[in-house]
Amino acid sequence: MGADVELDVLSLNAWFGEKQALKNINIQIPRRTVTAVIGPSGCGKSTFIRCMNRMHELIPGARVAGKVLLGGEDIYTEMDAMDVRRKVGMVFQKPNPFPNMSVEDNVVAGLKLSGGYKKGELGRIAEKNLRAVGLWDEVKDELKKSGASLSGGQQQRLCIARALAMEPEVILMDEPTSALDPASTAKIEELVQKLKAYATIIIITHNVQQAARVSDMTCFFYLGEVVEFDNTKALFEAPKNPLTERYITGRFG
Amino acid sequence: MMLREPEYIIEINEKMMDLQGIIDDAGDSLVSNLEERPDNLKDVLTERCKEAQVSEELIIEMSVGALIRYQPFASDLRALTVAMKVAYDLSRVCRYIRNIGEVMEDLGVDARSEPDVLSLIKDARTMVGIALEAYFSKDAKLAMRVIKDDDYIDDRYRTILRKYAVRRDLPGSVMLFIGITARIAERMADHAVYISQEVIYLTTGRREGYR
Repeated sequence: MGADVELDVLSLNAWFGEKQALKNINIQIPRRTVTAVIGPSGCGKSTFIRCMNRMHELIPGARVAGKVLLGGEDIYTEMDAMDVRRKVGMVFQKPNPFPNMSVEDNVVAGLKLSGGYKKGELGRIAEKNLRAVGLWDEVKDELKKSGASLSGGQQQRLCIARALAMEPEVILMDEPTSALDPASTAKIEELVQKLKAYATIIIITHNVQQAARVSDMTCFFYLGEVVEFDNTKALFEAPKNPLTERYITGRFG
Repeated sequence: MMLREPEYIIEINEKMMDLQGIIDDAGDSLVSNLEERPDNLKDVLTERCKEAQVSEELIIEMSVGALIRYQPFASDLRALTVAMKVAYDLSRVCRYIRNIGEVMEDLGVDARSEPDVLSLIKDARTMVGIALEAYFSKDAKLAMRVIKDDDYIDDRYRTILRKYAVRRDLPGSVMLFIGITARIAERMADHAVYISQEVIYLTTGRREGYR
């Protein structure tokens, strides 16, 4: 695996019971880039990113075969699942701040669980990560308020700050703007570009325009297979596969 | 793979056909004037050039509007960027046709006695016509043929220069006319090549040469 590859996916297959959701996936996600994952509903996008942090195996009846190398180590055979999820953070479709925790505590919740931090130190970490997601100026006077009191867009950035606080190597985002208004979406998209300075980003989106705006690489899934994986400009300007062409020009089906 | 084109691209190409009609009219006016020498050629060609420019601007406006409204990708995106460039090339060809008419009138030359230049202009027009045929039919092979034909036009242009450079029997005005119009015809053929390069990009996504 090259030094510039963050995630090396080798012959990855995934099932829900008898149904195969991913078929022989082989891709290399470059380090410190944004990779967009696109494709029609049910094509395996979410299953794919859930295999990247071992969340797929939490579903009863689900199983995985193949390798996912993170920094050269197979996350399924050479790493502890909790360690994988610490190194591979996740942001979900709907913002999910812990409603009983303050804004500040939301950011450092994971660190508190792992222990070993002093209170002042946690405060500094919270500030650093709230600044990183552009939320500090908006919430610095409301740090003790509930995370649930923020707007939807602010809550999503809070969740990103929470993921970032764990200093992950990869952040997975599953349609992070689908529940947000256009202004909040624009802020998240801008943030995604900045986040690649801290981590490798993999983002699922149904919005192909968004994929084109935010990503460096794009991966098109169809029926559980990778149809095309290329740099975003090449894929959106002149896709090599006719299926990709049909999907991104809206002539699918 | 041929996909059905979106309505906005069909509308833009209808305008492109209008622009092609203007260029054809201008070219016909020029050639018939070169052959028959009636009056007011400059006025006619200036009018055609204005129409071509209006048509070019309309195509660019429609293309920009479609880019904003539909944010297209892949072949649709290429169709819009190519349409803008082809419209520019055609408008430029129209101005070259006018330039030839201006030179002829300004120098008062009877072009009927200079068949070399006349046939070079006709061949350049033919190349533009084939390049447009390739554009409308999305025919990369035909476009490639135009690109290859450019070497032939370049050779003809140089042959004309060499042939007339040593002529001492012709008046200066005729020599000027031949030199300038041969050069303009060669440039017209270059724009046929540019259009053909755009056709190859449109159909394959790959760039074939540079302007």
